[in-house]
Amino acid sequence: MRHNDKVNNSAVGLDVGTSRICLAQRVGEEFQYETQLNAFVTIPFSKMTESVLKKEKVPHTVSGPDIVVHGNESDRFADVLNIETRRTMDKGVLNPAEPESLGMLRKIVESLLDPVKDRQKLCFTVPAAPLGAEDNLTYHEATLRRIVTDLGYEVKSINEGLAVIYSELENSNYTGIGISCGGGLCNVCVAYLSVPVFSFSIPKAGDYIDTSASAVTGERANRVRIVKEDSFHFNGFFADKLQQVLGVYYDEMIQSLVQGMKQAFANSRNLPKSNRPLPIVLSGGTALPVGFRERFEKALAETDLPIAVNDIRVAEDPLHASAKGALVAALADA
Amino acid sequence: MHGVRLIPRNFVGRFIESRAGRIQDPVQRLRYLQSNLGSITGQPVLHAAKSRRIGKLAILGLALLFAGSLIPKYNASSSGKAPIAAQPMARVAVARDAAAVNAADAVPPDTIPNVWLVDQTRDFETYSNGLRIDDRYVTPHERRAFYAIFQRGAADASQPEWRSEPAGIVYHTTESDQARFTPDQNARLKRIGKAVIGVVQQNHSYHFLIDRFGQVFRIVPEADVANHAGYSVWADGKVLFVNLNSSFLGVAFETQTQRGDLPSANPAQVHAARILTEMLRAKYHIPQSNCVTHAQVSVNPDNMLVGYHTDWAGNFPFRDIGLSDNYAVPPASIYAFGFGYDPAFVHATGVRLWQGLALAEDEMKTRAAARGIPVSRYRAILQKQYKEVLAALKATASDKSS
Repeated sequence: MRHNDKVNNSAVGLDVGTSRICLAQRVGEEFQYETQLNAFVTIPFSKMTESVLKKEKVPHTVSGPDIVVHGNESDRFADVLNIETRRTMDKGVLNPAEPESLGMLRKIVESLLDPVKDRQKLCFTVPAAPLGAEDNLTYHEATLRRIVTDLGYEVKSINEGLAVIYSELENSNYTGIGISCGGGLCNVCVAYLSVPVFSFSIPKAGDYIDTSASAVTGERANRVRIVKEDSFHFNGFFADKLQQVLGVYYDEMIQSLVQGMKQAFANSRNLPKSNRPLPIVLSGGTALPVGFRERFEKALAETDLPIAVNDIRVAEDPLHASAKGALVAALADA
Repeated sequence: MHGVRLIPRNFVGRFIESRAGRIQDPVQRLRYLQSNLGSITGQPVLHAAKSRRIGKLAILGLALLFAGSLIPKYNASSSGKAPIAAQPMARVAVARDAAAVNAADAVPPDTIPNVWLVDQTRDFETYSNGLRIDDRYVTPHERRAFYAIFQRGAADASQPEWRSEPAGIVYHTTESDQARFTPDQNARLKRIGKAVIGVVQQNHSYHFLIDRFGQVFRIVPEADVANHAGYSVWADGKVLFVNLNSSFLGVAFETQTQRGDLPSANPAQVHAARILTEMLRAKYHIPQSNCVTHAQVSVNPDNMLVGYHTDWAGNFPFRDIGLSDNYAVPPASIYAFGFGYDPAFVHATGVRLWQGLALAEDEMKTRAAARGIPVSRYRAILQKQYKEVLAALKATASDKSS
């Protein structure tokens, strides 16, 4: 940070993803981010354990006979204890199968956001409705709105795919297709001059790859995710079975995404026929592997999409693009 | 699907777009677009508005906005930033310290085999040791140009030396589907083998492929580069190689990696690999010490760990192929560039490779002690050197492409 730079306190962006929650702030001309894993683990309570966690400044809460470690540290504990992390969200929304989802989501959000008194603007991301299904996001969105409002913010929401467009497609005046490949969902949004034309989501994303690969290989899904994020890339052949399996499910996810786009465009019978090709931006942790863009482009090339695209690229900062877009939206509204 | 509530008319849209394009600040630009689009209809813009009725209006508006031109088909360009790993990498060899590799010095005397070409047709080559190479699937790729050698002692990346001949062989496994190796599976074995050849051709993955029956196929000509080794490091008794795609030839066995010491290749494949290795060593004067497996050379610059690929990590039949057992040679990636390794890699390797890993760690500790600095600091220095070499490689590749 430069000497004369200071945090722009007028607005913040919050990307609430199935696997991670990311806070974006503007400092001078730059954007800064802070991320927490949207997960937690429980370990048996003992005074010694609690003392160590306090000493190491590991975010945790005591809940009856358990200590709950949440956020980034939960990953490490899960790996050491050879257990799966528990997730507050599933497929882009609050996890209905997790009794602690609401409380832990609040804890994780509070670990990123300080309470404010001056109604600071905050924009958070929400997923689009699944393709071909009715919108079922009301409870999720209302819950998040409540959590953040309780901290003193003036809140609005933004579609995750649109946030990607706000983050990356400045040069095309926010016209194009934003795709966020996250943990629970792939979100797609088409926008013209910053205005969303349509958006949708598909339920095959990072978690689908992890659980599917886990079932085939016998590795824990959490371990699969770590391997996937650390070392997986597309290169034709894979040196071990896990990499090979990951490649198979990645391909399936990409196919679903492309077919989803085809179906969505097909369903829009009055879709405008632009004489200008649209740019596409890919973002999110699932879009990180080397070769993902090329694989997506190849799948798209093999599909008759009723719209021309001219530039498929991965976001400059794929892990933070949605949060940045949410911040841009919040700042524009401030 | 979510809809939208407003769309400007054509000329207004163009005007707004033109004005917005002159605004540098992304937030200001968005604010301008939203405020002006809102003023056209007298309504504020909503993000992800949920009314289907409004969505239909938006689409109708967009239909008016865009000219009714013919639908261009997909014409995606590849103008996006290509990941570094996808770019053809030049290869660098770095002269290594004379005392770097003890185990390499312990290798038995290295005699280059005497093998010559006996017969050559359009489709096949026959050699004096019985090797027969099928050339029907040859797929030319990027020509192997001169490659840079950085003198490690001088550490002057701007003044490289150059070489052009293949310096070694990297052995791979295709990790492709495996049918049972029995007579009743002949048709399936052949079908899978053909498919593997197709994929290898398409990706220019290796120079040679040895199928389940021990047939040797030339896929990428030796004069060209194959995409077989990616980020990789190896050293022989004299020089250190970084990124072996163009400096080493790639030979793949159609097989899957087996854990521990189980054999990954059948006798026919081992025999074919032996006579192919003899021919290549004879043709290019390749020392035994430069005949290695992919697992031994593969590195991941992102996390600075070795063993990004683990094919032939523990059971490569060096002796049966007529080579000294290079598993015991400490990987140069560790002692020369400070790479580490994790339990997952150790789990994937056999006992033989562990010796090399341990030796490399010892070598690095000894060197750090000789300089009177902690191992962690010495490792950081080595890793910095590696980054510099990679940067030089990238610059070389960039120069070539321009």
